[in-house]
Amino acid sequence: MGLQIGYFPGCSLHSSAKEYNDSIKASFGDLGVELREVPDWNCCGATAAHSLNEALALALPARNLAIAEREGLPLFAPCSACYHRFLLANRKLRESEELLLEVNELISPLDYKGGTEVKNILELLVEDVGLKKVKERVTHPLKGLRLVSYYGCLLSRVPHGRAADDTENPVYMDMVVEALGAEAVPWPSKMDCCGASLNITEEAIVCRLSSHILDNAQAVQAQAVVTSCTLCQMNLDLMQSGTKPAYNHPANLPVFYISELLAMAMGHSFPAAHWKKHFINPRELLEKMGLIQS
Amino acid sequence: MKQSERIQVSDGSVIDPGFTQQVLQLTGEEVMSCFQCLKCTNGCPLAPEMDVPPNKAIRYVQLGMRDAALAADSIWICATCYTCSVRCPNDIDIAHVMDTLRRLAYQSQGDATPKAHIVHFHELFLDSLKQYGRVNETKLLARYELKEGRFLKDAKLGMKMFFMGKMSIFPQKVENKEQIKLIFDRASKRKG
Ligand code: SF4
Ligand code: SF4
Repeated sequence: MGLQIGYFPGCSLHSSAKEYNDSIKASFGDLGVELREVPDWNCCGATAAHSLNEALALALPARNLAIAEREGLPLFAPCSACYHRFLLANRKLRESEELLLEVNELISPLDYKGGTEVKNILELLVEDVGLKKVKERVTHPLKGLRLVSYYGCLLSRVPHGRAADDTENPVYMDMVVEALGAEAVPWPSKMDCCGASLNITEEAIVCRLSSHILDNAQAVQAQAVVTSCTLCQMNLDLMQSGTKPAYNHPANLPVFYISELLAMAMGHSFPAAHWKKHFINPRELLEKMGLIQS
Repeated sequence: MKQSERIQVSDGSVIDPGFTQQVLQLTGEEVMSCFQCLKCTNGCPLAPEMDVPPNKAIRYVQLGMRDAALAADSIWICATCYTCSVRCPNDIDIAHVMDTLRRLAYQSQGDATPKAHIVHFHELFLDSLKQYGRVNETKLLARYELKEGRFLKDAKLGMKMFFMGKMSIFPQKVENKEQIKLIFDRASKRKG
């Protein structure tokens, strides 16, 4: 019984975003989703591959897509940036037999036939698991928590086509937040760009973009931000961390992964060490709201 | 492209129709249908920092202005956020065009751009990926800081992240490293 899924954690869920990995593992089993890690997965290539070398930008995702296909599993990439790379590579490979042939030469002896479906965390929760089931599993509703859903760029901006969710005003994350008993506060920055991987190379740009997003979250009196992207989480959290003079945004808003809230609402309690992985530690807010014991 | 195709116009800029054809062919995007509505640039989050905003980059492609397009800082700053692509009334995937210009610039001039540090970061990223099949953030960041001569500038942050359990000093890697190396070798033989 249940849904078997090829789990692609990606590089950051094994390092800077461990808390995303841990919370997915803590919550998905109870929703009837069996996570089967894509055997020996490799990095999707990220911004670097598509910036410098198109062949790599296709072949690196293709290797994982081929392995998932061999296992007969859809591929679930929780990080929005990985997800987008898989989605675009998959579409290109499915559209052109010639290209598929060329890329298969790069990844041989693996041989991708174009049969793997790619899923992000919201599609999985809303379309496959279903919000009815999510609601049934909620034992500790996140009552009173005012959250802003921060989609970022890559969940629903799909060129030449439509994502399942709306391109300019996506709602899946709001729907999940409300299914968990929290309040999804409307705000103008749900699709604004945080600057993504420019945080290493162009700090000033990321400070400008991410600070603007935090300003807007503050303006609607949100108590925390929810996201599904490891770059978004990192940038918004870092901007408030005080670890550098430039990172001094005063919002003091925890930035949650959607799966952390999901796991909590389903009764899972994380150890203190888990919350310490956030620059803005959410414990204080969660205690104040009576959502965890101090 | 043949040099003979290049035409110098009165303001000194060089027109190369072969460049237009090359980008059209590489991207498959309907670049010629752009009518300069500026919707892309109006929504571009990086436009304030760009020397050549997306609408202008598209114009350069239409006009065959290879040098101007490939010398732009903005092709390196573009965050590939796809805001422009999903809004273009002519359904041009502008982010795809920016990405293609970036690769053409890299092929012809490597890191000879004021944004060389961004090129270096991408190179080091792919280096780590080639070696391990996965990217090791700690090592990547240390190598980047070292290369750009700003080592220890972010040391406080690095230490903090280490103690938060966000950074690991043990490299994660794939088992089948040979296969990853093979993919890189084959891809480097294939042009672009
Ligand atoms: S949105 Fe499209 S048509 Fe309008 S200027 Fe940009 S590329 Fe041209
Ligand atoms: S993809 Fe690049 S050019 Fe287009 S809106 Fe985003 S940053 Fe601007």
